Amino acid sequence: MQVTLKIFRYNPETDKKPHYETYRVEAEPTDRVLDLLEKVKGQQDGTLTFRRSCAHGVCGSDAMRINGMNRLACKVLIQDLGTDHITVEPLLGLPTVKDLVVDMEPFFEHYRSVKPFFINNDPPPQKERLQSPEERERFDDTTKCILCAACTTSCPSFWLDDQYVGPAAIVNAHRFIFDSRDQGAEERLKILADQFGVFRCHTIFNCTLACPREIQITKAIGEVRKAIATGRLD
Amino acid sequence: MKPRKVPTPGWNFEYLMWLFTRISGAAMVLLALIGFVGALVMGARYHMDLGTLLRWTFFPNPNHVLNSDIPDIAPWANAYWQIMQLALVFFGATHGFNGLRLVLEEYIHSWGWHMFLRLVLMVLWLITLGAGFFLVLTS
Repeated sequence: MQVTLKIFRYNPETDKKPHYETYRVEAEPTDRVLDLLEKVKGQQDGTLTFRRSCAHGVCGSDAMRINGMNRLACKVLIQDLGTDHITVEPLLGLPTVKDLVVDMEPFFEHYRSVKPFFINNDPPPQKERLQSPEERERFDDTTKCILCAACTTSCPSFWLDDQYVGPAAIVNAHRFIFDSRDQGAEERLKILADQFGVFRCHTIFNCTLACPREIQITKAIGEVRKAIATGRLD
Repeated sequence: MKPRKVPTPGWNFEYLMWLFTRISGAAMVLLALIGFVGALVMGARYHMDLGTLLRWTFFPNPNHVLNSDIPDIAPWANAYWQIMQLALVFFGATHGFNGLRLVLEEYIHSWGWHMFLRLVLMVLWLITLGAGFFLVLTS
């Protein structure tokens, strides 16, 4: 089948403003959008710039807007889009560096702000720090985040004000806040209770729809909010 | 393993306003329901049209039913309904102005403007409350 790809193009060294370019590509219905981008870059226009790494939905490098929705290009099959006209654009809310590549630093700055690492100042035990299957299950969903930024860049609250920490940072805070072995819940909840924390979430659910790992993000934000409201982690 | 620490809840402005928004939203629905049922109990089915009943439902002020066919204004104009109106004015104005604060703070990113707009909104909120309370207590 022939697919028409309309791709957002911007080269800061030559372009005054962004524009779109259209490419016709021969594709199989089972091809992924990433395959088509590779074909364009390899066969038609070597200047096309995009991020990709593992190409199997694990590294989170190739999040982009595909027909208006934030998706991983390596996970979207052409047949699932239901059309042979595909528009590919960079993520919204982060500065575009070139073509489909955005500057992820503001995103990672918010991620770092919630201390996304294990905090426990007790002397390490002889073996591992034990945890029951139920305690592990409590934060299982939020361990799946691959930091692709699809959620944060689909959030209208983040588009309006990039000082909002965003769903991905809250998800990664949730992963440690509800870990029974961690002792940093207090400082993380204080960070998330401020003006740019969880109360900026207006439960729009874009993040949950955008997540390629199907994490229940709005639910996780609600659980963090509940912990702030009740002072309890159960 | 040491018990894990969580901040004491309740004294955070953003959290309190988030909670207030939910409570005031539910309270306004409840107050409207009380106004609606109260009007029916006082004979609204026989003495007024639907428009008048709905005006009363959302703001139970006696001026809203003056031009209807009610035989006696006394049950419609007393301290009980005044308290209901004051609660509606308070919940409505505070809910609305807090919503406006959130919208403005999402669009405007400078700390100085935030503080200035918060001050302006607080003054407007107080004026609205004052005007609303004056209307309720003098009608």
